[in-house]
Amino acid sequence: MKSTQINIGSTLCRPDALLKVSGTAKFAVDYYGQDYIWAGVKRASIPHGTLKNVDCSKALKVPGVLTVLTHKDIHGTNRQGVVKKDQPVLVDDKIRHCGDAVALVLAETKSALAEGLVAVRTDTKELQPVKDVMSALKPGSPLVHENNAKGNILLAGEIAVGKSLAALKECDVVVEARFETQRQEHAYLETENGWARLDDKGRIEIVCSTQTPFRDRIEVAEALGMDPENIRIIVPNVGGAFGGKDGITVQSLLALAAQHSNGRPVKMWWDREESFLASAKRHPCMMAYRLGAKLDGTLHFLDVDIILDTGPYDHLGGVVLALAMEHSGGPYRIPNGLIRGRCVYTNNPVGGAFRGFGVTQVTSAIERAMDLLAEKMGMDRLELRLKNALKAGDRNFVGKTLTTSTGIIECLETLSRHKLWKQKSSWKCGVPPFKRRGIGISATMHASGYGPVVPDYANAKLELTTRGSFRIYCGVVDMGQGNTTANIQIVGSLLNQPIEKMEVVLPDTDKTLPSGSASASRCTYTFGNALISGAKIMQERLCQKAADLMMIKDSNEFSMIPGAIRHLPTNREIRLETIARIMDSSEKTVTAYFRAPVATDSVTDDKNLRLHGIPHNLFSYSANLAYVEVDEITGKVAVADYLTVSDCGNVMNPQIYEQQIQGGVCQGLGLALYEDFETLDGRIITKDFSTYLAPTSMDIPDIQSVALGIHEPTGPFGAKGIGEISTNGPLPTIANAIFDATGYMFDKSPITPEAILDALNINLSG
Amino acid sequence: MSKVFMPAQPDELWGILDENPEAVVYAGGTDLLVRLRSRFTKPDCLVCLERLDDLKGVKADDDDIFIGALTTHREMLNDPIIQKDLHILTHALKQLGSPPIRNMGTLGGNIVTASPAGDTLAPLYILNAQLEIGSRNSTRRAPIESFILGPGKVDLAHGEILSRVVVRKVPKFEVHHYEKVGKRNALACSVVSMATLMNVSSNNLISNIRLAWGSVGPTVLRFGDIEHFLVGKPLTVEGLSEAINMIQELVKPIDDIRATACYRREVAGRLLLRLLKYSV
Repeated sequence: MKSTQINIGSTLCRPDALLKVSGTAKFAVDYYGQDYIWAGVKRASIPHGTLKNVDCSKALKVPGVLTVLTHKDIHGTNRQGVVKKDQPVLVDDKIRHCGDAVALVLAETKSALAEGLVAVRTDTKELQPVKDVMSALKPGSPLVHENNAKGNILLAGEIAVGKSLAALKECDVVVEARFETQRQEHAYLETENGWARLDDKGRIEIVCSTQTPFRDRIEVAEALGMDPENIRIIVPNVGGAFGGKDGITVQSLLALAAQHSNGRPVKMWWDREESFLASAKRHPCMMAYRLGAKLDGTLHFLDVDIILDTGPYDHLGGVVLALAMEHSGGPYRIPNGLIRGRCVYTNNPVGGAFRGFGVTQVTSAIERAMDLLAEKMGMDRLELRLKNALKAGDRNFVGKTLTTSTGIIECLETLSRHKLWKQKSSWKCGVPPFKRRGIGISATMHASGYGPVVPDYANAKLELTTRGSFRIYCGVVDMGQGNTTANIQIVGSLLNQPIEKMEVVLPDTDKTLPSGSASASRCTYTFGNALISGAKIMQERLCQKAADLMMIKDSNEFSMIPGAIRHLPTNREIRLETIARIMDSSEKTVTAYFRAPVATDSVTDDKNLRLHGIPHNLFSYSANLAYVEVDEITGKVAVADYLTVSDCGNVMNPQIYEQQIQGGVCQGLGLALYEDFETLDGRIITKDFSTYLAPTSMDIPDIQSVALGIHEPTGPFGAKGIGEISTNGPLPTIANAIFDATGYMFDKSPITPEAILDALNINLSG
Repeated sequence: MSKVFMPAQPDELWGILDENPEAVVYAGGTDLLVRLRSRFTKPDCLVCLERLDDLKGVKADDDDIFIGALTTHREMLNDPIIQKDLHILTHALKQLGSPPIRNMGTLGGNIVTASPAGDTLAPLYILNAQLEIGSRNSTRRAPIESFILGPGKVDLAHGEILSRVVVRKVPKFEVHHYEKVGKRNALACSVVSMATLMNVSSNNLISNIRLAWGSVGPTVLRFGDIEHFLVGKPLTVEGLSEAINMIQELVKPIDDIRATACYRREVAGRLLLRLLKYSV
């Protein structure tokens, strides 16, 4: 019989799973309402230009079009952004990428909207686009933002480590390489959408698909000149985000539309093409690496230069750069070196948050450099990694002393004992005709949370209902990763209550409490810690109440059991619903606050880099292995097996943990071998899923996940972040496996069959 | 909004086509409906053939196999006649699109769409498939290679419908080989494909061979010269090498978003090497 008991550390099937597969769970797209209208965006369609005029007259004559709004209808700053607010809701001066919004059309029907959008005429003067980072950095390049003090540079930073460049000459062996990673689209199932309504008290309610309801509220308010109290953001189930909804998408546009819809609900729903055009992407990245070691393989020096293409807006580009810089040395002790980074404006699609968040890019570089070094030194690649892997108390490359659980050595050692590592030679020997086989490994680390300056906090709220169940007010969005299930496990196990006694309220700025974004591998760590405090307070309060009712002095003699509280010495019980009835509503609600500990190390004097997150305090680790088979006839790569050994703390839910590993690996394999969001002079070439190819189930190997379950003392039940790290492994692991198979280290991703055939240049028939 | 007709009888269809000279005809809709989605103006009139039951199913007599144009890819994969005699087609069908596309898409649709990447086409070319084209008053037959004129272009007049595909049962081939090179393993348009029917003698000489390539020209390509050249050659790397060069010279690929012409040319030739696995 299935137990409905809730435990930490055993699989609890997501309570929302059945609702989602049966189509009963509500997403933002399921909101319509009485007498609703459609809103849609006229996009710029040119990468760079001056907007001289928007002519709405024709559109207004289209039957069914209600109104057309431009920047002139916005009475706030008309600027959005997380750190630097440089992105307009509707363009008021310049068009900076093809997906820029220039006008907002409100219409009775979808077809009237489509016709209205075509009828909006924009009068623009095209400017020469800044098409890539190299041309953006050239003196005399056109500027994306004329008033930006540093030209086309959004953020630049430099961190010297140890003796910096002077240590280069102390190295016995140095490898030098350049790497380039591509732009990647999140490709979530649920495209950006939402629904909004202005009520008669002047308050706007927005239901939307977002990772950041509380921050959205403030951004929308500022951009539109509203009081944040007059904006309510509700986030029902979310159909994927991966960072792509960490920031404003439809929210301000919907609020603006609601201001002009005479109280009628407004619905906006981007189709896939619009989502591709307008949404943020993983930053393309260029990396120059010089990695030096002593003769015995001890790493001694690393020189890193990172350039990110952030497109025309900050979005989270500066923060992505900082995280990339911080992780540029991988999970290794490297005492000397220099980290340089630049995040550069262009007229390409907006670069933004994407699972992995800059770490994915630099991990692919340091891990390929490690294999090049091992090759040059004639050293085993696993041995080289083990020799230099971080231990607690070591300083990582950026100079942060590791004070939290540090399991990379255990990850690598576990990998070395795994049968896939042990059987690698025999697998390679069994290679069929016209194939080459190779094995690759990588080691990764990934920080969680916001860094030393921006407060990483959560406010949990928990309520005992009159039915005697517990209602968890989830302040952090669950966009599919499963943190809501983790919340249920935390409360259920601490209060000893079965699943039937658990209820959740999904994020809603009127009901749940501000708890930061659903990002940065922080959801369960930060909110979970707050919720643990909340559950403990609830338990104490209820036991005290029971003690008072039974007129027993010591509340410690009470314990919670499913549905009731029992006085252990006498076995007398009181039902939870009975207690609930006699409690005042404020008594029945508990709130608790948690703020994540931060690093106090002074690794840089650059206040701006600190603001952008350097350094972090808590890291997850993984070691990865892949078997690949390269086809000599076509250049195609088949990934035969993939293994991740991870230290993401104690495992609260094995199934969800593994799902996070599997999903992240799939996205990483997409980056390694398939996905490329291509542009030409700022214009998108891969406009839809017929040309932007993500891997299918037919392309994904068996993925094995081994979780070490090392207890993290600061974590909720010893857990650490699991959301992102698995995305970082595949690109370097696959590249290193192809290196092993072919002797050729590919420095550009995705690694295409064409590139492989070019590199191999084998004359098979000669 | 477009009008959609769904005739259930041929007479009904001919009437609709007569009355609607601009009508756009489709079967499974897996190509047409995708294209229409991105178009702002839709055709006034669509004719869906899916209720014309006479054009569905697979039959055989002593000499020929007849495949109704409205037979879906899935139905063909499940069909015992095709499973028994037309392995080459099943190899290709298994790699066509994805399960939903195979459930909806039809053989006739794949032919009339006339994409050089159409997965069933290279097999049909080497099966010397004949197409039956029906209209109100007549039926004509045409070999597939003369019916398909170029990308998206077929020899089909308004008022005509591709009704069935006819394949001769002889000669018999031992080797039915199809390889599709796509950018991923499902839901991928082929970058190059090669279909082969072959017999190999006991002393490892090619005794009979037919070859066709997809995605390396405006239509599927078949070269009689290469087929003749290969007969009698040993099925070895040396025996195939000259033919590989010939193929690479004869194919006419283009650059597009999926691959460069150079890659396609290179791989079109090299795919011949995969036949070595059938050597005896």
